[in-house]
Amino acid sequence: MSVERRRVAGQAVQRRDLFEKVTGAATYTVDVTPPGCLHAKVVRSSRAHARILGIETSAALAVPGVIAVVTASDLAALFPRFGHIIPDHAILAMEKVRYYGEPVALVVAENIVAASDGAEAVQVRYEDLPAAMDAEAALAPDAPILHDDDYGASGDESFSEMAATPGLPDHGDSPPRTNVAHTVDLSWGDVDAALAQAHIVVENRVHYPMLYAYAMEPYNAVASFTEDSLHVVSSAQHPFMVRTDLARIFSLPLSRVRVQVPYLGGGYGSKSYTKIEPLAAVGAWVVRQPVKLVLDVEEAIYTTRADSAAITVRSGFDAEGRILARAFDIVLDSGAYADNSPLVLAKAVNRCFGPYRVPNLRVRGRSVYTNTSPASSYRGFGAPQGALAGETNLDRAAAQLGIDPVEIRRRNLVPPGGEILPGKRGIDADLPADLELVAESLQRDARTVPGHGIGVACTASDAGAYPISTAIVRVQTDGSVTVLSGSTEMGQGSRSVLAQLVAEELGVPIEAVDVVQSDTAMSSYERTTGASRTTTLVGLAVQRACADARAKLTEMAAEIEQCPPESLAQGDGVLESADGRKLAFGDIISRWFGGDAGEVTGVGTLRRDGRTQKMPPFWEVGMVGVEVGIDPETGVVRVDQLVTVADVGFAFNPKAVEGQDLGAATQGLGGALFEELVYDGPQLVNPNMVEYRVPRMTDLADKIESIVVERGDGVGPYGAKGGGEGALNPMGAAVANAVAMATGKWPSRLPLTPERVWRLVNDLPEVDAE
Amino acid sequence: MTAAQPATGHDHVVVAADVNGVSVTEPVPTRWTLAQFLRDRLGLTGTKVSCELQVCGACSVLVDGAPVSACTYLAADIDGRRVQTVEGLAARDQLHPLQRSFVEHFALQCGFCTPGFLMMAKALLDRNPDPTEDEVKEYLDGNICRCTGYEPIVAAVLDAAKRMRGQA
Amino acid sequence: MVLPPFALHRPTTTAQALSLLAEDSVPYSGGTELLLAMRMGLIRPTALVDLKRIPEMQEIRTDRSRLLIGAGVSHDRLATDPLVEQHARLLAAAEREVGNARVRAQGSIGGNICFGEPRSDVATVLIALEAELGLANSAGERSVPAEEFFLGPYWTARDATELLTAISIPLPCAEGVYLKFQTVERPTVAVAAVRRPGGDYRVVVGAVGEVPVWADYPGVGEVDPVDLVGRTSPVSDLTGSERYKRHVTEVYIRRAAELLAESER
Repeated sequence: MSVERRRVAGQAVQRRDLFEKVTGAATYTVDVTPPGCLHAKVVRSSRAHARILGIETSAALAVPGVIAVVTASDLAALFPRFGHIIPDHAILAMEKVRYYGEPVALVVAENIVAASDGAEAVQVRYEDLPAAMDAEAALAPDAPILHDDDYGASGDESFSEMAATPGLPDHGDSPPRTNVAHTVDLSWGDVDAALAQAHIVVENRVHYPMLYAYAMEPYNAVASFTEDSLHVVSSAQHPFMVRTDLARIFSLPLSRVRVQVPYLGGGYGSKSYTKIEPLAAVGAWVVRQPVKLVLDVEEAIYTTRADSAAITVRSGFDAEGRILARAFDIVLDSGAYADNSPLVLAKAVNRCFGPYRVPNLRVRGRSVYTNTSPASSYRGFGAPQGALAGETNLDRAAAQLGIDPVEIRRRNLVPPGGEILPGKRGIDADLPADLELVAESLQRDARTVPGHGIGVACTASDAGAYPISTAIVRVQTDGSVTVLSGSTEMGQGSRSVLAQLVAEELGVPIEAVDVVQSDTAMSSYERTTGASRTTTLVGLAVQRACADARAKLTEMAAEIEQCPPESLAQGDGVLESADGRKLAFGDIISRWFGGDAGEVTGVGTLRRDGRTQKMPPFWEVGMVGVEVGIDPETGVVRVDQLVTVADVGFAFNPKAVEGQDLGAATQGLGGALFEELVYDGPQLVNPNMVEYRVPRMTDLADKIESIVVERGDGVGPYGAKGGGEGALNPMGAAVANAVAMATGKWPSRLPLTPERVWRLVNDLPEVDAE
Repeated sequence: MTAAQPATGHDHVVVAADVNGVSVTEPVPTRWTLAQFLRDRLGLTGTKVSCELQVCGACSVLVDGAPVSACTYLAADIDGRRVQTVEGLAARDQLHPLQRSFVEHFALQCGFCTPGFLMMAKALLDRNPDPTEDEVKEYLDGNICRCTGYEPIVAAVLDAAKRMRGQA
Repeated sequence: MVLPPFALHRPTTTAQALSLLAEDSVPYSGGTELLLAMRMGLIRPTALVDLKRIPEMQEIRTDRSRLLIGAGVSHDRLATDPLVEQHARLLAAAEREVGNARVRAQGSIGGNICFGEPRSDVATVLIALEAELGLANSAGERSVPAEEFFLGPYWTARDATELLTAISIPLPCAEGVYLKFQTVERPTVAVAAVRRPGGDYRVVVGAVGEVPVWADYPGVGEVDPVDLVGRTSPVSDLTGSERYKRHVTEVYIRRAAELLAESER
């Protein structure tokens, strides 16, 4: 099935934002410095878990240029915490610190040099508390408890809808407190009975590493108060979510909090929800001048990382390799504060068992507080963790049954329209066909030599987040169009895609369309920018806004032409009268208002109804294959082939889709082969880009193929659905499977560093006994 | 601008340099990096700072034609030298072939690494106008991009090299 | 992150520079090691003595039977200089692989050596080439063989008031191979295997331990990887456990010796 080629949508148009970005003119938050701006530096905890006995600020205040040192005691008049699911996150540590790197004080100074010198001069006295540095320690019976309060946690309706069966921990009246921040369970059928009857039962346990997204622009924010309004410029993916947190902190109406987001230097989920905006804002609130807070990479790592996971999976199969039952136990190490980890957990639970027919299922998920950097969203969102367990488990079964790994997937994948989660939207993709594309490509170039192996893996993610979106299109008297959207341009190319869509819908040249985004005071409302939703969901809202504008233009034209609206035909940038005259949009507006002025505003909204009633709004496909070559002496893994399928329904901009797909695949390879944050004692050993090793240019696979598949089967405009995470999700599993084929041994832990592979090959323990 | 420590006679120096063809004479604190000087003093914010350890390449600029990490290079050291940043690449309204090629090949997404990649690619092509694919990868291996997966960057540099040779 | 405060001196002669050096007044050239260490708070000198304006520190020349390299010469120049390519090909080859293109353009050979970073590419090669390091202080000059210069991590034979002025490599220069196992910015294991002008062989193993170790062999076939690995003192870190590093070192010594033998065939 193919899709219709269109005039603008579906063409590889040049992204206009790229012109600004190649000249250095593009503005990012770090480039914003308002007049009279002061600069802030955060004083951070040097302990993993400790009571704060005192904060000595006089030496810092004596540093020339230092204006103020803000601590938690200055925030008594405010709601001093944030967190969209569990408001557990202190802006500045209160009474105790829960992880190394936690903000304890904020030094505000005339310049960054003075702020840094001042921060060094702040002395904090601590009394150490026992720390729980990993999930196992945090779940132990006598574990130190991180949080003594449940903060009145309540997921809102949208959160509940995205988790299949959410459960904030219910501690009853007299809570026996634990470090479990959140639990999610999901089950159907009778797993135990099915396993008892299975031809084989395959069990394995995997560890997914603690990752850092490394958006190259770390977290930055500039805050100022004017009158009683707060203005924050920030590197946030979700300005409207940040606005909600800020309004609660300062007890301000939403309308008096303006969050503005310029270009983002990468996000990948790591800039979702509130991060450092409250810090900058309380600084500005105290000194009543604009305050700029710029983090470095180490501080960014200690602001947000991705959840690591330990997962046990047990699956039963019949003799033909058909899945009879699957059981998963998932433990996420979520760090010291919940942030978005409850939702990451919910998604890990929904996604771990794969896009297969699973007649009996039981998943138990726990998100656990530990005395480490807080974990939250990261591209893939629970899917990569779950897939490592589920997809290596499937390959183990295939090996035991003597079935090819591609064949076992063929026998289990849900068909188009098939159900993955009961009561949810059926799969809007042809996964079996996608699988064949990957398998064919890999086979074409496969090398059957020792030390080489092929691995495939599949995922389908319940993506799109919650369908709440609005858009405004403003048609001008010259026929050009301004589009307002609250969706953030963070590199993915939404600015360009939305312009293409408007150009297509209104029939105007793309050069005549300008898109203004992500300003809670000036753009339209958008719930979030994440979960691959923009093209699909914002696209629908924009499409409706265009239709609304056309309807208004038709009414106006009918009035000035004194004809029935139905007699006007819709054309490209024009309406056509019954007698064949073309009425340009701009002329209609000028004539209707008179005086060569005015504009027409089209409004589009999207909520959970109609085509977006069923959750999820769409499924995001992850279908990848790799071939690796291994140096048996050193364990070095080299990627020979990288094959991905971008099953996006309709590719608004095929080159942009490929770029997102390859980018996601490459980040996935990073987590598969190189990346891991490592704690040793209270702090990270490698909170820097020298020792946290990400993919580089010489790591490029010899053969890279990104197959863009368009079947028009998405809910979005022209059959589009989301992309951009898919290729990351199964990548770790695919690499593990390829390494297993190459070595004959089953890896259980990523990343597959040379030493890990060498130990695997030589049957050595993961670590040597002391 | 006042330094945090009392002056010792050498904690400020005057630098006289050519920055993107403009003569600049400014006193700077010795502890300022070139990135600070370019961004905060001259307002040339195209140069981005990321890892601050010379491994990501986002802050790459050219000093007397040689690529340096502006995050770990003293502003004092540009005295008497010629500095080129991303803002100096385009000739008025005419994009540099590298810039054009990066746009056409979608060799950037978020764009934060791009100024550094462009300056490194310029350094490469200035000394080797006809690099092989492997030479491009080797030379740019010290620049990190988190968005694109690198393939389009390699293609863009090779394509720009071809165009520039055609012009010569 | 901002740098701590310091004074900056810019001498134009070696003598001026020497008069400015002290325990907390340190030589400064490319800054690729020093500025990072300062920013991380590992060292906090009160003054930097910039050597870049001393002309002889930038020289590369031959003098009778030696190749003389000023301590301020950048890695990139060494990687591309015709004299170095002609007389010390192995050094040029190793310099091409130091850090990344910016580090090579900015960083100097002298700074690399004097910082005493155990994972230095240069140290391994200079020992293989039997370089002599010229040190000066206000009282005079001395020459230290590269073999005796590296005393421990970030610790060399250079006294705080001394300046490394030049690196002197005897000619004809040993020839051979430089092979390294590297997964991050610096090598995990570096092996230089050379045939010395006298006809025997030297294998130097750097990066993996606190200081480079080496052994000389009458024939390339007699290189004993197991024995040489036994002399190293690998430290477990994120690039590998001690056990793994010993193993990989052995592999790389063997591979380097094989490559060298092959090149002689």
